[in-house]
Amino acid sequence: MRWTLLALVAVLALLLSVMLGPAAVPFGDLLRSDIVWNLRAPRALLAFLVGGSLGVAGAGLQALVRNPLADPFLLGLSGGAGLGAVLAIALHLPGPWALPIAAFLGALAALGLVYRLGLIGGASLDPRILLLGGVAIGAFAAAITTAIVSLADAAELRNAFLWLWGGLSGASWDSVLIVALYAPIPLAVLFAASRPLDLLALGEESAGYLGADVDVVKRRVYLAASLLTAAAVAVSGVIGFVGLVVPHIARLTWGHHHRSLLPAAFLGGGALLAFADTLARTVVAPRELPVGVVTALIGVPVFAFLLKRWTIA
Amino acid sequence: MLRRLSVVVLLLFACHPSARRHDAPAQRVVSLLPSFTEILFAIGAGDRIVGRTQWCDYPLAALEIPSVGDGLPPNIEAVMARRPDLVVLYNAGPNVTAAKQLERAGIQTVLIDLNRLEDLGPAARTLGRLTGRQEQAESLAIILDSLAGRPPPPSTTSLAFIVWDNPPIVIGHGSYLDQLAAQAGARNVFGDIAGRSAQVSLETIVARDPQWIAVLTDSAAPPAFARRREWRAVRAVREGHFLLLPGSLFGRPGPRSGDAIAQLRARLAR
Repeated sequence: MRWTLLALVAVLALLLSVMLGPAAVPFGDLLRSDIVWNLRAPRALLAFLVGGSLGVAGAGLQALVRNPLADPFLLGLSGGAGLGAVLAIALHLPGPWALPIAAFLGALAALGLVYRLGLIGGASLDPRILLLGGVAIGAFAAAITTAIVSLADAAELRNAFLWLWGGLSGASWDSVLIVALYAPIPLAVLFAASRPLDLLALGEESAGYLGADVDVVKRRVYLAASLLTAAAVAVSGVIGFVGLVVPHIARLTWGHHHRSLLPAAFLGGGALLAFADTLARTVVAPRELPVGVVTALIGVPVFAFLLKRWTIA
Repeated sequence: MLRRLSVVVLLLFACHPSARRHDAPAQRVVSLLPSFTEILFAIGAGDRIVGRTQWCDYPLAALEIPSVGDGLPPNIEAVMARRPDLVVLYNAGPNVTAAKQLERAGIQTVLIDLNRLEDLGPAARTLGRLTGRQEQAESLAIILDSLAGRPPPPSTTSLAFIVWDNPPIVIGHGSYLDQLAAQAGARNVFGDIAGRSAQVSLETIVARDPQWIAVLTDSAAPPAFARRREWRAVRAVREGHFLLLPGSLFGRPGPRSGDAIAQLRARLAR
């Protein structure tokens, strides 16, 4: 029943985002319209894939660092991606894909640094160091980014901040194809880690007694979730709150077993982002809102509601 | 008696350090907007400019004046190091604060609006009054006023100004560029957006189907986004109908606005 409902919501969100948009496309022409085929359909699918990836990455990281506030972007990736993007603009790197590739590389660099910091204490990733290291690396990258933006001549650099706020304007069948080929690998790694992630909730020591190879699981989950987030940031910038709120909503409905929690977070995250993007495109048409603003406007009240429920319970 | 009076006058000046200078033409001007620099040169006060922004690139003589940086917000120390008796600033948020700081240091400042064609005449008159070039300023202002008051010709083509591609940011009705297009006979397809610029969806650009995509750039090559798959949905992009407009001439209202309109009209007719 719950699954049927979630699947229905996901399909509905996808359908709405294909049917609705600022340009008037007559209902009968939906299947023949260029706007629908070349712009809305890839954008809806990309929103779904990115939202789903962020939902799963968030759920995985929250279990890994055992902190309900963990968000895929908390671990320094947004700062690294932003630095990469701004460098691409400042150095006038040519080519239509320069910016997403630079953002991806920036996120990977931040990922590598945070990972290295996390291993400082030995072979076992320390969740506390991951969090602190992530915040520190993110702040460091953001400081360099701001320095470049304020020192560089190019007025267009200020627009890089707009890109950083996140958005799906860059969606095309190319980007959908890239994400559709890339995302299944880290997603499969995370889904395969469902059982050990359940055990991790009992504490690292207990998980070890129950047969989980804690060190390996932590490394796999961190790398898979971060690689997923790095791809998301490369195609759509930093879209907040999906990776933070969706896992919590999924946990409230599906409980703490990652075997059902992770797929639910994927469908829920995909539906939320597809829906938020439809709102971003239509509510102030012909203007458009940054989608990160819409996810936050939906996400924060839901989050506040959940916090209230938890404190009462 | 005379002595007492002069003490009072001295005291008055001490209290209002800038009061005296308001009357005499400014001799050392720092111009913090490229348009002001162009107007000052056009009214024959170019030799009074002792500081400019790094963006002030016209006329060529302007490049010989020391730059005080990007001017937004102005670097107060760099401005003061030019020992100006007048600083002209574009009337916008951070500049208001900077103007107050300069006033406190005893330097006369003037904040001038210059966002649209109709601001040009008043700006020229203000600058003429401050530099004692009223006559030249008045004849320039008359030309600029008639430019702003001219009813735009019926539009024969349409365009969209793309400021940024991801997310797509376009120019709206409130911008000088919208006026420039209208005067050149092109309808801005986003003229219904009241603000100067706005983020829009790509599909809105496709649906409004402008005949031209205008971009402020010094490059002669089409912008990088022209090669992105999603932008190929826009007909003008597919057909390579780009207007690549150098920012120095087209990006700012100034004495050359008439040239900019004429050149844009010529390019649209091609």
